[in-house]
Amino acid sequence: MKAKHIISATCLSAVLLTASCKKFLERPPEGQMTEEVALKDEAGVAAFLNGGYTYLADDDFMGGRVQVVSELLADHLNGDRFTGDYAEIFKRQNSINGDTRDNMYSKGYKLISMSNRVLANLSKANTDAVRQSFEGQAKFFRGVAHFELVRLFAQPYGYSADNSHNGIAIRLNANSENLPRSTVAQVYAQIIADLRTADALLPTTTDGGKFYTASKWAADAYLAKVYFQMNRFDSAYFFANAVIASNKFQLDNNYNDRFSDGNSKEPILRIANQVGHYTPGNELRNNFRSDQSIPGCNFTASFFNYATLKPYDTRKAWYSSTLQAGYFVSTKYNKNYFEVPIGHLTEMKLIRAEAGAEMGTATLATAITDINDITTRAYGSTTYNLLPTASAASVIATTRLERELEMVAEGNRLQEIKRIGVRTGNNLDRRSPSSPWNCNGFILQFPKSEKDAYAPFIMNPEGGCF
Amino acid sequence: MKLKRLLIATILPMLLFSLSAIAQDKVVSGKVTDSKDGTALQNATVMVKGTKIVTQTGADGTFKVKVPATAKTLVISSIGFADKEVAIGAGDITVSLTQSNSELNEVVVVGYGVQRKKDVTGAIAKVGGDKIANVPVPSFEAALQGKAPGVQVIQGNGLAGSGSVIRIRGIGSISAGGDPLYVVDGIPIISDPFLRGNQGAMNQNPLSSINPNDIESVEVLKDAGATGIYGSRGANGVILITTKRGKNGKPSFSYSAKLGFSSAAAKPQFVNGAEWLQLRQEAWSNDGKPGQATLPGSLTWAQAQATNTDWWGLLTQTGFINEHSLSMNQGTAKLKTFANITYSNNAGYIKSNAYERLSARLNVDYKLLKNLKLSLTSGFNRGINKRVPAAWDGGIGDAMSGALPIYPVYNADGTYYINGANPVRRINETKRREIDNRLIGGLALEYEPIKNLFLKAQGSMEYTTNIDDQFESYKQTLKSVPDSGYAKRFPFTGTNWSTTFTANYLWNPSVDSRFNFLAGTEVQESKTKGYSGEIGGFYGSPYYMHASDYRFQKDTLVSKGYITETEKDAWTFNSFFARVNYVYKNRYAFQATARVDGSSKFGANNKHGFFPAVSGAWTMSEESFIKKIKQINFLKLRASYGIVGNANITSGIYYDNFRIGSNPYNAQSTAYLDALGNPDLKWETMRNIDAAVEFALFGNKLTGEIAYYHKTTTDIILYPAVQQSTGYKSLPRNLSDSKILNEGIEFSANLKLVDNKKVQWSIGGNIAKNRNVVLEYELGPDAVTGGTNDTRIVKGLPLGVNYLVRYYGTDPADGLPIWLDKAGKQTKTFSLDNRVYAGSVMPDYIGGFNSSLSYKGFNLSTLFSFVIGGNIYENSAKYQFLGISKKNWNFRKDMLDRWQKPGDLSQYPRLTSDATLYPGVPSEDQFNSTMFLRDADYLRLRELTLSYNIDKTRLKKLGLTGIRLSLTATNLLTFTKYPGGDPEITRDFENAQDRNLSPNITYLTAPTQRSVVFGLNVNF
Repeated sequence: MKAKHIISATCLSAVLLTASCKKFLERPPEGQMTEEVALKDEAGVAAFLNGGYTYLADDDFMGGRVQVVSELLADHLNGDRFTGDYAEIFKRQNSINGDTRDNMYSKGYKLISMSNRVLANLSKANTDAVRQSFEGQAKFFRGVAHFELVRLFAQPYGYSADNSHNGIAIRLNANSENLPRSTVAQVYAQIIADLRTADALLPTTTDGGKFYTASKWAADAYLAKVYFQMNRFDSAYFFANAVIASNKFQLDNNYNDRFSDGNSKEPILRIANQVGHYTPGNELRNNFRSDQSIPGCNFTASFFNYATLKPYDTRKAWYSSTLQAGYFVSTKYNKNYFEVPIGHLTEMKLIRAEAGAEMGTATLATAITDINDITTRAYGSTTYNLLPTASAASVIATTRLERELEMVAEGNRLQEIKRIGVRTGNNLDRRSPSSPWNCNGFILQFPKSEKDAYAPFIMNPEGGCF
Repeated sequence: MKLKRLLIATILPMLLFSLSAIAQDKVVSGKVTDSKDGTALQNATVMVKGTKIVTQTGADGTFKVKVPATAKTLVISSIGFADKEVAIGAGDITVSLTQSNSELNEVVVVGYGVQRKKDVTGAIAKVGGDKIANVPVPSFEAALQGKAPGVQVIQGNGLAGSGSVIRIRGIGSISAGGDPLYVVDGIPIISDPFLRGNQGAMNQNPLSSINPNDIESVEVLKDAGATGIYGSRGANGVILITTKRGKNGKPSFSYSAKLGFSSAAAKPQFVNGAEWLQLRQEAWSNDGKPGQATLPGSLTWAQAQATNTDWWGLLTQTGFINEHSLSMNQGTAKLKTFANITYSNNAGYIKSNAYERLSARLNVDYKLLKNLKLSLTSGFNRGINKRVPAAWDGGIGDAMSGALPIYPVYNADGTYYINGANPVRRINETKRREIDNRLIGGLALEYEPIKNLFLKAQGSMEYTTNIDDQFESYKQTLKSVPDSGYAKRFPFTGTNWSTTFTANYLWNPSVDSRFNFLAGTEVQESKTKGYSGEIGGFYGSPYYMHASDYRFQKDTLVSKGYITETEKDAWTFNSFFARVNYVYKNRYAFQATARVDGSSKFGANNKHGFFPAVSGAWTMSEESFIKKIKQINFLKLRASYGIVGNANITSGIYYDNFRIGSNPYNAQSTAYLDALGNPDLKWETMRNIDAAVEFALFGNKLTGEIAYYHKTTTDIILYPAVQQSTGYKSLPRNLSDSKILNEGIEFSANLKLVDNKKVQWSIGGNIAKNRNVVLEYELGPDAVTGGTNDTRIVKGLPLGVNYLVRYYGTDPADGLPIWLDKAGKQTKTFSLDNRVYAGSVMPDYIGGFNSSLSYKGFNLSTLFSFVIGGNIYENSAKYQFLGISKKNWNFRKDMLDRWQKPGDLSQYPRLTSDATLYPGVPSEDQFNSTMFLRDADYLRLRELTLSYNIDKTRLKKLGLTGIRLSLTATNLLTFTKYPGGDPEITRDFENAQDRNLSPNITYLTAPTQRSVVFGLNVNF
């Protein structure tokens, strides 16, 4: 049969083709790499780690989302116009759905996952110095991300006496295993361990002295923030002092500079802005920018009045009641571009001032100097300065007040309500006396996928604040 | 071996018979053709009258038979043709048979070949090109609606060029694409609606550039018997598009034109400015708030009261449809040519929105030698989509949402009002053009080295360049000088080639036995390329008006290394396939197919899949006991079973996706891990059973088909949620314990009521019932969701169930909504914990019915399409109902039936200024309930055509061979209980999963287009 011959010939050529076509079937889209290829050498790991800065300052994370969500939960903003996710968060009744929260959560953990992959590939570094730099940066990222998330998704440090209340999942390796929540105590212990390692490994200055990447001081600044949040004043003081004493950073004279494209001298870590490439801070501009249209986030009349009460306060330039008639808006982010500071000297001064006052007489003088540096700059004179004999209590009170004004619209107020709530038992919240610092809805709900993928995951109780 | 025995049993008597025939001395030869088009009739039976001598015609219609010297007459017969007796004379006999049932003799395109319909063992629905080209639709596939049983076509929305959702016999996939495989002239084309993702609330539709005037026929392959030859790509069905080729005849031309108008098929109704303000105040007062309600957009009450903007009116127009097509046909024994050029411009009912198409086609068949044929297929299409924003992206979507009637278009000083949505500004000050150039071509060489052996080599190529030009003027970017508008362009190119080698051998071992062997191999590679970053700059006009600036900017960015051109998507297939057809005595047909597919889409651990299918048919009407029944003209039973796959997954997802970042950070390069891979990933497996009866009764007056199918899909590909604390939201995998069933019945029939020289009237229709149920599924209800919509997957229910809190009604005492908790108990506190499975987006029945009435030269034909069962969820209605709250949206008129005072019995609860004031509602986003779940039933007058063919005798003087005038209307009437306007909903989708689970979910979806078109066809 001729047909038979032809069929067998076809089959034979088919077999031959198959053998030669093996490569043909290995075809991921160009530019797509496996881990073996992407992280095969030092340069690969370095590039992957370098991407971490853009995760850190991503719009969904420290490029604005963390700050905006914090301000929504706090008490400066006027909630009349919020709808959707914003309304939920503002009303302190965050539910299981919502991309605003989900994207922030997964972006933070993406940074953690990236860090863990770098840590698993430290051996790719060719020298000890590079290995240390990799490990230091990765642990800095991992510590920062866990810290920013635990503050929003769990009740604060000090909520329970032994901090055995639920925190967040601690991710220390890059696999996809399901994890339950660790306690807040465990989470903070891990954050501190990571940041202390980073402190030991990171360099005291970075390329060109620009601090576009994490230095020892970035780790110290975060350690100061973490300890301050824990009301652990001695350690907070120690690390804030280390940053200030490094003399690498100076207070800006002009309030317009903190969020500017390269003019600020304050940032401990600054996320570089490069027009045409990577421009951080969109989320801050999208929510607060007020010179083009009515921004989504604007202040309550009472906060506006409170913040603009003192006639000589140069920080009044950060507010406007005329740019958008009928709205009390922030002008802090009215720019096309700016660098995003991750920790700045003003905050370090404020931490050292308050922590110093809390610690007692030995550090009180430094505390008074710090707060007076702030008030002198704010009011253009020494009029509102404290006397060298001021009491610790008055330093604390003044520092808290100035901190609120200095760091307006930077996501600061929420954690102050909680930290001081833990410290004093008082409810600072101006929105409602019935919504204490430790009410259920004052933290965010977890994305529903946490429970969908892992049934034992304990979700937060919702609402109940008002 | 039963087959072997069968062969011996048939061959032996044949041999004996032949031996006895040797004694005779007369040889008669000839050819049998179809009277309709003169094509050769294969397998026609040639019998010597009064004897048992019988033979059959070969592939070329010829026959040769030895007959006794005394024989005088031959009886020629073939299924579907009237028998014919011819006298035996000297020389070749040419017999032309006349069709008695044209449908059965239709040539049906099957994978890698053609078959006569009567021999087909699989489920194939054929739709002729004329039925597609005559209907004005945004994209050809919409014209399939109601014409093929079991094929659900949810026609695209009102945006020009928008694509339809097509589901063949239900849907069995979750995360993998549920769309059929589209094959144009043998090459599976780029048809992914997510090439550009979801941009501007529209999925770019690659099918829209296909020219309907080029289409000879569309075959929809439905069961494994038909799609088995496509192996891992056959599970969703296959749509074969065959373009026109030259037919025998002198050079002839055909010109056709369409001119017409379009509007919205249904217009949603909203309250006007004064009413909106009144409702706003009512809601305000309901909540116990004092004084006048606050207003959005920095407006005072006086300003608001002075304004009543009709945004819908400002954004819509009467669209103009304009199409011209000229084609040429020529055919000799040696050379056959078909050529066509078409220009069309379909301006939609939305201002500035139009789809312009320019097409050219040249198909040539040339016989180099008697047994060597060269065929060229080439078509170029250029589609220019003048895009407008829609749905959530604004534009016409704003007119249904945030553009309130109290907002002005302009401020007093003539500048645009920008303190609220202003879609007029958006439409005027932004431009967007998507240009899709697509060349599909192929060259095939067919060689017959020995009789009945056909070797075919075909190389096909699809090349597309696609440009998305976007521009915002300085008035949109809020800059001060005209040059500071912003222009950007996103180009990509797609290259897709395939080569196919087939060997086809026809072997007729005896008069009663026919074999058809096919073996082949196919290789395909498809890739799209684009730039890694944006190409844009500040200009006063869009790039398409000054392309040199674009090229300069692109070259600059490339040379500086800021952007690179990279492959976005690339995949390969390497396949082997075979098919055997065996027909015994023209009544038992048997087919077996097998395909091995290797693909780069599959994980390293599962590179190749094997897909076998068998099918058979029994033409009972050939049996003598049926032949006695005069009423039965044709009766065939058909069944198939096979395993096919779905490989409709994004390429490279089995791979970890590390990428070099498109932007450096701090002058150092960056890299990211965008997704986790899974080396075990493979195709979805579907087991497909089909059984059917095809019939022609009462003198071929009643024809039809009843089919049953049972399809189970396993190894379902999912992106189930992983804990987001892994840093990733999902991981693709084949879910081992998963099974989805699609089971259904299709019925189609056509009845010739009147059939005489003067009047012909036939009616027909089809209806299909599909039962879709998720048989096995291990994950929780929220693990997989239909994109942004509230549809879920749950064991025991259809795919894509609406997972909603049940709304019971309104408390007449206080007007607050009453919900049902999980147990069915009434509660006034809303909670997402009370979500239950409340509806399904899958219809129970789909179908269409038609009537065609001809009188002299006139023809009036109608097509109705319908959907019974299933639900529509109005995802945007919750915001529209809350429009007068601080959500600040337009308020729909059908929602005015609300509670106003104690004692009111109303459909909707009392209005509120803030959704969170309804107890337990976290925010308006979560206000999803059965309050907005609707019945999806509808009946639509899809097509209505009145045409007139001018008497040919009168035209002869003019040198014309035919003129047809027609008036066609689409979507003229719709009968539905759905209150939101158009019940046929194809919204913009985020991904394949969203498209699978969330048809019939609307979010400000622009209603489909209604059109009335005058058509002219001239043949000369």
